[in-house]
Amino acid sequence: MLPTWLVLGGLYLLPLLILAAVSLHQADDFGNAASVENWGQHIRSGEVAANYEKSVRPPFPPIHVRSFVLALVTTAACLLLGYPVAYYIALIAAPARKNLLLALVVIPFWTCFLVRIAAWRLILQDQGLLNTLLLKMHLITEPRQLLDTPLAVLIGLVYGELPYMILPLYASLEKLDRSLLEAAADLGARPAARFLRVTLPLTLPGIVAGSVLVFIPGLGQFIVSDILGGSHSMMIGNVVNDLFSGGKDKPLGAAIALELTIAVLTMLIAWAWYARRRGWEIGL
Amino acid sequence: MKSARSTLLALHALVVYAILYGPILVLMVFSFNKSRQAAVWTGFSFDWYVQLAQDAELVHDAWHSLIVALVATAASTAIGTMAALGLAGNGRELSARAARSTTTALVYLPIVIPEIVMAAALLTFFSITRWHLSLVTVMAAHISFTVSYVAIIVRARLIGFDASLEEAAMDLGANRVQMFFRVKLPIITPAIIAGALLVFTVSIDDYVVTSFVAGTDSTTLPVKIASMVKTGVTPEINAVSTVLLVCTIILVVVSQKLMTGRNAE
Amino acid sequence: MKNRRLFALALAIVAVVLNGCGKSAPVLHIYIWDAYLPPAVVDQFTKRTGISVTIDHYGSNEELMAKLASGVTSYDLCVPSDYVVQPLIQQKLLHGLDHARLPHVSNLTPRFVNQAFDPGNQYTMPYLWGTTGLAYNKKLVNPAPDSWNVLFDPAYKGKILMLDDKRECFVVALKLMGKSVNETDPATLRAAADMLKKQHDLVRTYDSTNYDNTLLSKDVVVAHGWNGQMAKVVSDHPDDYAYILPKEGGDIWLDNIAIPAGAQNVDAAYQFIDYVLEGETAAQIVNGVNYASPNEAAKAHIDPKILNDPNIYPPDSALKNWEYLNALGGATDRMISDLWTEIKAK
Repeated sequence: MLPTWLVLGGLYLLPLLILAAVSLHQADDFGNAASVENWGQHIRSGEVAANYEKSVRPPFPPIHVRSFVLALVTTAACLLLGYPVAYYIALIAAPARKNLLLALVVIPFWTCFLVRIAAWRLILQDQGLLNTLLLKMHLITEPRQLLDTPLAVLIGLVYGELPYMILPLYASLEKLDRSLLEAAADLGARPAARFLRVTLPLTLPGIVAGSVLVFIPGLGQFIVSDILGGSHSMMIGNVVNDLFSGGKDKPLGAAIALELTIAVLTMLIAWAWYARRRGWEIGL
Repeated sequence: MKSARSTLLALHALVVYAILYGPILVLMVFSFNKSRQAAVWTGFSFDWYVQLAQDAELVHDAWHSLIVALVATAASTAIGTMAALGLAGNGRELSARAARSTTTALVYLPIVIPEIVMAAALLTFFSITRWHLSLVTVMAAHISFTVSYVAIIVRARLIGFDASLEEAAMDLGANRVQMFFRVKLPIITPAIIAGALLVFTVSIDDYVVTSFVAGTDSTTLPVKIASMVKTGVTPEINAVSTVLLVCTIILVVVSQKLMTGRNAE
Repeated sequence: MKNRRLFALALAIVAVVLNGCGKSAPVLHIYIWDAYLPPAVVDQFTKRTGISVTIDHYGSNEELMAKLASGVTSYDLCVPSDYVVQPLIQQKLLHGLDHARLPHVSNLTPRFVNQAFDPGNQYTMPYLWGTTGLAYNKKLVNPAPDSWNVLFDPAYKGKILMLDDKRECFVVALKLMGKSVNETDPATLRAAADMLKKQHDLVRTYDSTNYDNTLLSKDVVVAHGWNGQMAKVVSDHPDDYAYILPKEGGDIWLDNIAIPAGAQNVDAAYQFIDYVLEGETAAQIVNGVNYASPNEAAKAHIDPKILNDPNIYPPDSALKNWEYLNALGGATDRMISDLWTEIKAK
């Protein structure tokens, strides 16, 4: 256990605490945390929480909501698209092919993200490949704006996060004991019931793992919304990135990022507590 | 009936794979675009591949990406698996439960935090400890946030692991080491492989964290490509991506053939 | 598992060793924008001086500043833009320049030296410069525009692109209001922000990378952008696109070469800066990068196509209302940052 704690604690927890400290300051001339002369005054005047106050007033709330909804829909889409694929690889494909099929899922992502997203731009442009295809198939009469919309961000996110759903699902499905399914069949259960009452519960840890690995990064992402989203898709990740990398107000950026972190942690803990009460084994 | 369902699932998988590789195909085709700007196709050309062959810097950066990814994968998989195994313990004493909770929290922390914050935090850490930025800091940074991926996946796999199997093995005379290698390890191997693949993918494509913690002579491919903001991206990037992709696929297919060949013997 | 741990440890050791190798010969570490330095120029330097060179890239000035401020980098050269120089100097992140060691300083065009952000060029030497203007599709935009107003024209709703750069967008609004690009008065800035907020619904996207591609794909018909990429679009498709410097004026940007405070090899840095100040080298850079150089001596060796391209080397008369960007100070920066979030959030 010690090596893990050393790695994670040293490289991770410590600087996070520093960031939390930064969020309690105001920005100086260079966007960094300005040193506080009088902490008593700083706390009493409420300045210490100024950044947090700012982050819940306009224009931030709609951005929070937009990001949350997008991450949720992305996760659901990844689950719906990814589960059958993981099922196929784990339980139906020939054993000799499993690793190959798994590798084929991630290989597209060994090309650099900018090139992949640039390819999506070519596909989604007004005169791009998708619109051209839809026009030729007479499904639409004139090109639709697909690029530079929240829809494009959704597509880009689902595309980019699919492996993070498929791989954990695969790991969980792969160990499914086929004899349990046969026993259920022998006892008269129909395929739907077998899936809902045997397969699904047993693969719940994989579903949770995949959902966590898709939802949370999806919440904080900024590159996809930056390149594919257009002018109406500002997400909370873009805000944090702008404040941090734009360098003008790191304390505010730290505060927003920490809020996001705490919100997610709270969701995770609440979910874990609920699951434990229901006796579900989900691995949290 | 079963085969109908299997066919349907196979079809779904095919469609998803097609979606995954669609943009890749587009990317590869446009590497032969004569025009400098990707938005218009002006003709077929090998120019960008010629330019790539003379671009030592790009190849250098690709090499950096590879080394970092390999080291990060090896280390993260090791540490992550250890963390997952530690978490799977069933000890009921308070100390064991506290240890498990702390480890769980630490394991989930990197995932929960937005990447940009992670990057800034890591830079702050290196700055405070006066650890000079280099390819090693990039590796350290990658390891620190990818350990979680492996831990979470392997942990999910271990849920419901039948402890009685362990006891049975020990009853039959195996010591702890043998029990681990011949009972536990085979069971979690698929999860370890899945985790390793994921870490490699995350690492080789990482831009945000790497750009913050790279030092002299440590630019990786994503950082280089992302920095082409000022003068625009050229199809040379498509060319290098195509080359990398083709090499990777060949590598994977060949190793697959070798492994199945060995298994068959 | 033990085997795996050993393997990981072994790999880590190999990595550290590999990293430590090659420290014997003198090395120059350059940190620069991508494609700002043709490889031939670097190779020639190595041949001449025997100093090998490593190059790393950054994509934004803020990235540069964060790295230098961390104090744990060892770059010998960097290329900050105009508005970042003052903050870098104030945070003591730049090494002073001794002009006695830079004999070719006299090659520089007088207009570009002694800027407000670095009086006397005590820390930086100008490297490349350009303009921020707009380009438009000649067939789809009528009449031919000559003002920033076209970016606010409802007739082109959803077909407009703006740079994803707060300063640059504020420059457009401020110039339309007849103000300076370095305005700090809060009321004026808020008025400029209101203009940009009204414009938001007309803008298809804010993009600082793909503005040339988005124009070419016809997803937009008029695009805010920097002159280098736009000049290429215009020279590749002269019948369809044009780049203009709007009459209200705008900003000239100037990128400068400097030695960071943490430099390990200051001698090599000086040698490189002087090398770049030579006329022929500067011309090679221009020919390779397609941006204008502030080096007068270079003009004799620059490719005439580039030298005569008004989009890259605009005549002085076209730059009457054009200013350099200065740092605005923390309070104004934060105000602009807040306003920018409000503008883009809708």
